[in-house]
Amino acid sequence: MSAPPWRSGGTNGNNRNGAFHSVNSRKTLSGRPIHHDGTQTLTQNPAPEQTPKTQFPDKLKDYVARTFEDCPPDEKAAVELELKRIITDAFNEKVVWSLEWDKMPLPQTILARKKVTAKEEQTTKTLSMNRVSNETKASPASPFIRKPNYSNVMDVDYPGRKRKSAGSSEELTPPTPDRFEERFDKRPRQGDKFLPTSGKLSQREKDKRAKRFEDERREYLPDSATPEVPDNKKPLIGRCMDLEKRYFRLTSAPNPDHVRPLHVLEKTLEMLKRKWRSEANYSYICDQFKSLRQDLTVQHIKNDFVVTVYEIHARIALEKGDLGEYNQCQTQLHSLYREGFKGHEEEFKAYRILYLIHTCNRADMNELLANLTPADKEVKAIKHALEVRSVLAAGNFHRFFRLYLEAPAMGGYLMDSFVARERKAAMCMICKGYRPDIDIRFLTEELGFESDTDCVNFLCENEAADLIEQKSGDKGVPNSIRFQTAKALPLFERAKKAAFSKVDIKGQL
Amino acid sequence: MTTLYKTFRRALTTKDGALLGSIFSPENPDRGTFAFSTNHERIRGDVEYEISGLTPLRDENTRAAWIDTLVCYWKIAYILERDDGADVSWAKAYEGQKDLLLVMVRGYTKGNWPHWTLPVMYQICLSLRTVAILSDDQARRLGKASEHLEDAARYINKAFTLCISDRAPIEESRKWGTYYIVNLMFKTYFKLNSVGLAKNILRVLPASLADMPPLEAFPKSHIVTFKYYCGVVSFLEEDYGNAQAHLTYALNHCKADSIRNKELILTYLIPTTMLTKHKLPTLELLSRFPRLATLFNPVCKTIKSGNLQAFDAALRHGEEEFVKRRIYLTLERTKDIAMRNLFRKVVLYQNEESRTKIPVRQFQIAMGLEADGDTVMRSTPERVEVEIEEVECLLANMIYKGLMKGYISRERQTVVLSGKEPFPGTVV
Repeated sequence: MSAPPWRSGGTNGNNRNGAFHSVNSRKTLSGRPIHHDGTQTLTQNPAPEQTPKTQFPDKLKDYVARTFEDCPPDEKAAVELELKRIITDAFNEKVVWSLEWDKMPLPQTILARKKVTAKEEQTTKTLSMNRVSNETKASPASPFIRKPNYSNVMDVDYPGRKRKSAGSSEELTPPTPDRFEERFDKRPRQGDKFLPTSGKLSQREKDKRAKRFEDERREYLPDSATPEVPDNKKPLIGRCMDLEKRYFRLTSAPNPDHVRPLHVLEKTLEMLKRKWRSEANYSYICDQFKSLRQDLTVQHIKNDFVVTVYEIHARIALEKGDLGEYNQCQTQLHSLYREGFKGHEEEFKAYRILYLIHTCNRADMNELLANLTPADKEVKAIKHALEVRSVLAAGNFHRFFRLYLEAPAMGGYLMDSFVARERKAAMCMICKGYRPDIDIRFLTEELGFESDTDCVNFLCENEAADLIEQKSGDKGVPNSIRFQTAKALPLFERAKKAAFSKVDIKGQL
Repeated sequence: MTTLYKTFRRALTTKDGALLGSIFSPENPDRGTFAFSTNHERIRGDVEYEISGLTPLRDENTRAAWIDTLVCYWKIAYILERDDGADVSWAKAYEGQKDLLLVMVRGYTKGNWPHWTLPVMYQICLSLRTVAILSDDQARRLGKASEHLEDAARYINKAFTLCISDRAPIEESRKWGTYYIVNLMFKTYFKLNSVGLAKNILRVLPASLADMPPLEAFPKSHIVTFKYYCGVVSFLEEDYGNAQAHLTYALNHCKADSIRNKELILTYLIPTTMLTKHKLPTLELLSRFPRLATLFNPVCKTIKSGNLQAFDAALRHGEEEFVKRRIYLTLERTKDIAMRNLFRKVVLYQNEESRTKIPVRQFQIAMGLEADGDTVMRSTPERVEVEIEEVECLLANMIYKGLMKGYISRERQTVVLSGKEPFPGTVV
């Protein structure tokens, strides 16, 4: 009466049970099988005496039925395993008849809870996922604790060192300075034959470097650091509760202690928005956004919130003319929108058009035009961006600078990135087209300068200062400042060529 | 004995590559009888028995590879035959095709398949692509994401490596298959809309070109297609000079009666020539290709007449099609020629003696011409007024591009034109 039915029957039931148990405890990856009623799993216990006939309480039958009622097929195996474990335990504990099965959480729920606990448990345990044992929470003093696996960090920080098989005992102890000395000793000695004088010095240099590397490593890798064996299938969930975090480019698998979970990140974004409004410190904000994005990425989070993060960072980067950062955001946004996450897709489509103009990427522009819907073309910002594109193609600088002055949203910031270059191109046309000279005021108006002074500065920057001259009217009263176009043409031809040759293509989409 | 085995034996003994290749087509008419001739249990034994005793298969590895290939093909045939028409799981068929390709690769690397069997490689790569497309379509209909075609491109790449890395003497080298496979890759990348990947092949190819026979030595069909794709890639990169060269080569060597291919080549060659040589396609040429005529005629007509509003309207009208064929941005730039023609007419309209000094206002009037009016210089109330600065800007543009010779005098509001050939290349 106490043994579950799948244990009864069969002559070597005990063996089978053993096998069954070990599989069970491993598969759940929980570190310890959490028991619904707080009792410990009896994984090592052989099954108690078996009775040939087993009976189930009706409530249990209902429970089983409920379990499989809406179980997704891909989880079925795990759920089945968990269900077996629950029932086995209940039999072992002899509570199968007393337990209130209708109040019992379903195996799916237990599994989900276990996954979370398993993650949390790694704060105290440094065990790799595949070495999970059956320990209970009460024994955190695992022999592995606080022995970070340095191998990952070493590989990055010490060039030339070969990766050793993980888990070797040497790997688990931090290298002492002696060992570095040993290693760095080798090369100078080989080199001695050729460079006998440099031996001593370079040895000291290298010692110093070894020390420096170690310091650096300490800095980046606090004692509690526990690089984990990456598990690509299961995204990690962070447990860092700090709102702020400096960006650090990961060189090894992320550590959940330093990763903030989604609900913290949401607060972080609010804080950053506030800070940007009040302090407007771009280098700080950009750094914070990068770490925010990194935390989202390592946790495989993809939702509308992520879109918001990228959009805000993209706008801030635009405002500061940081096109590299903007492009990274835009690339992500592009794929997020495509996956159906919601945000300000139209606004960013317009930016993308302007960005493609900036990078002179005609192939992608073709692609983008092909994917625009008629509805898109009615959006003000997109319409504006498309017009910018078409007037530039036509060499119509007159209209181009008008459009520059009336760019909607952040479009003006993006246009800033290629306005200087287009001015030079326009100057080429003007210098070739107008003879013998031209009023500065005309240039100011046609090239979208804010004042004549700006225009003159622009001309001076392009080494054309000598070609500006004051003209007097009939009575010797100066009435206009003129610019000699013909002579300036080669200057601007050169400037234009230089301006168009370097275009940022960092992280080009 | 199933006909398929007979064909196989004949193809192998007579070294008929094309026949051998055709066996592995999913369209093989013998597919049905072959699929139902046996079952999963017995297929391997059957194949072994049916192809036993063939002299070309004395080599153990060669025979093993052919057996695997036939078994793999049978599995595909079985999937295609068993599931009733519409119910075919193309995803399953795709997996089968992938296995077939891998077995084929082994045939060449381990099984010493000779170079005359290249059509087998062609056929297997081709059907992998076809089935991948069908599978993706099917998945899309069911609302699922499917990336089999991208996957297929990676596998076809294996065949590409197989071709260029062959070190056998050139007479019996797999290098002869290079261009066929490259074309297939181009085709696939274009379908995937990733021109970048297509450019990658063109970057890799020259490295292995050194020990390859000259282009002319390859089958014409391979080369014409290859040149076409090279031309289109150059076209998309706005390298119109090269585009012109490649596409012209393709057109000149294209089979005389393959209208469709010529049409494809001309779709890109016509805009290229319009831009580089300022030449419009002749009516005679367009009359031979009705589809191209509908595509280009409206735009060409407005370029000739120099009616800018009509040009814009024609471009807008055909925009969807132009963008789809990726010729929109190029055609858009031919507006320069339309404008040149318009300005030229303005000049011709003047009296002989005043042709060198023309008020900007005259050009302004001409630019404001309404779309329907074909008579230049007709002034109507519905005109689109263009700002004088914009007219000047476009005039400067014309002068800068060398389409017009002269300069603008802003103070006098006139355009001073060169006495000799103010519009180079035209009779004026």
